[in-house]
Amino acid sequence: MPETPIVVENLVKYYDGRCVLDGISLQVPRGCIYGLLGRNGSGKTTMIRILLGLEPPTRGRTLVLGEESMRLSAGAHGRVGYVAEGHNLIQSYRVQRLIGLCKGLSLKWNDDFFGRLVETFRLPMDRRVRELSAGMRAQLNLALAMAIDPELLILDDPTLGLDTVARRQFLELAIDVIQQQGRTILFSSHILGDVERIADRVGVLVAGKIVIDCTLEELKDRIRKLRVIFPERAPEDLYITEIIRQQSQGREMVLTVANWNPQKQAILETFKPESCTEVPMTLEDIFIECTRPASAAILQESEV
Amino acid sequence: MLTLIGRELRDHVIYVVLAGFVSFVTVVTAILAAAWGIVAAGPKLGAGMVVVLFLLFCVLGAAQMYTDRANRISALLATSAVTRSRILAARVLAGAAIILAALVPLLITAVAILYFTDEPLVFYRGALAEVFTTAALASFACYCVGLLFGWTANKAIPVLGVLFGTLLLVLLVVVKGLGLAAIVVLLLFSIAALLRVWYRFTSISL
Repeated sequence: MPETPIVVENLVKYYDGRCVLDGISLQVPRGCIYGLLGRNGSGKTTMIRILLGLEPPTRGRTLVLGEESMRLSAGAHGRVGYVAEGHNLIQSYRVQRLIGLCKGLSLKWNDDFFGRLVETFRLPMDRRVRELSAGMRAQLNLALAMAIDPELLILDDPTLGLDTVARRQFLELAIDVIQQQGRTILFSSHILGDVERIADRVGVLVAGKIVIDCTLEELKDRIRKLRVIFPERAPEDLYITEIIRQQSQGREMVLTVANWNPQKQAILETFKPESCTEVPMTLEDIFIECTRPASAAILQESEV
Repeated sequence: MLTLIGRELRDHVIYVVLAGFVSFVTVVTAILAAAWGIVAAGPKLGAGMVVVLFLLFCVLGAAQMYTDRANRISALLATSAVTRSRILAARVLAGAAIILAALVPLLITAVAILYFTDEPLVFYRGALAEVFTTAALASFACYCVGLLFGWTANKAIPVLGVLFGTLLLVLLVVVKGLGLAAIVVLLLFSIAALLRVWYRFTSISL
């Protein structure tokens, strides 16, 4: 397995003249759990589909397990597990038949593990896929993706439609896979708490551009939210670079800044604030701040 | 590959049954006509039934592509340990197997009737080979037309494409006759159509 199972170089995708992905470049190292975040329509699913060779790129290059996505060999496909958004399964098939088909087409099939998953999820073998609930379809899709013992697992919003218990089961399973040495996971999700729990690197897509690509710790370290109280009215001429958001009300100013450093601290000190306290930010807070249209450009320039 | 071919056959079993039924009816009718001494009716009947088969194969090709696109079957298959080329190859092989399964009994029946009616089989051997090859290639060409028109979200396009394609190929066989000229044209048409289908299938969004 290559050291970087996923390589994206200057990826551009247009749909009907509309730019969906605008020059994306990123690398996912081996053993990494990469959380891809972005609002609806930001291009996450398109990027994942291009990676899997389901969608041709307009420009640029994507490599999966060292092979170009559109020319992925059967061997490479067999080492990649994929859970699609909306759980793209053959609706008219019975569960048993779908499992038979996937097993027949796989290079490796872990019967024991799959059996355990089926038991855990209580999947009904005799029902048609279209008769399953959204949650059950998600579980079936996940079980099929896990059964092949994938070296690379790509999950496109896998917990969408799952209840809290099933989501927890999924996360535990994902952690199971992670613990197997050398496994790499790329996943997109709207549930940022899940990402925060398992991802060790995050990428944030805003309007087709990657505005953030760093480890979770780096992200939390670099983006700071400060509540500053001034002796009098909050100044209007506070010029600090890379301010993502600035809100003032009377003496109070709330600042969200990228790449906080002593220099910026010194500039703030010149205004002699009464107090300056850091407001703890969850990944969700950071995500909301970063996906505002005005923030995207700042973050991209500041290379967070 | 066998899993993929098996899936194609099982998913389109209705066409396998229909092709078998048309073939069976043709064989039974030809045998009865021969038994009642109206051998001359055989070729006319055979030609009529073969045209029905052409239409059926065209519909089969269109149905394979249309249902694939509508149910996003290849989108799932292409994430397993297979390539798009292999998915298409399995589809075409399944189609070819259905065509042969429907046409070979007709050939065997024709040979048997000639044998049992004391006709000089050696004399007819070349003609039979040409007729069978032309029919098989025309069937395959019709099937390819179906594959070409089937990959669309619009239901009218496959229907019109199937009708137009079958008509065109039947007219081609009528104009050229059953022989080498028709065989060459049908062969070239099938290769071109398959290349076009392959190019589209391997480069489009699934």
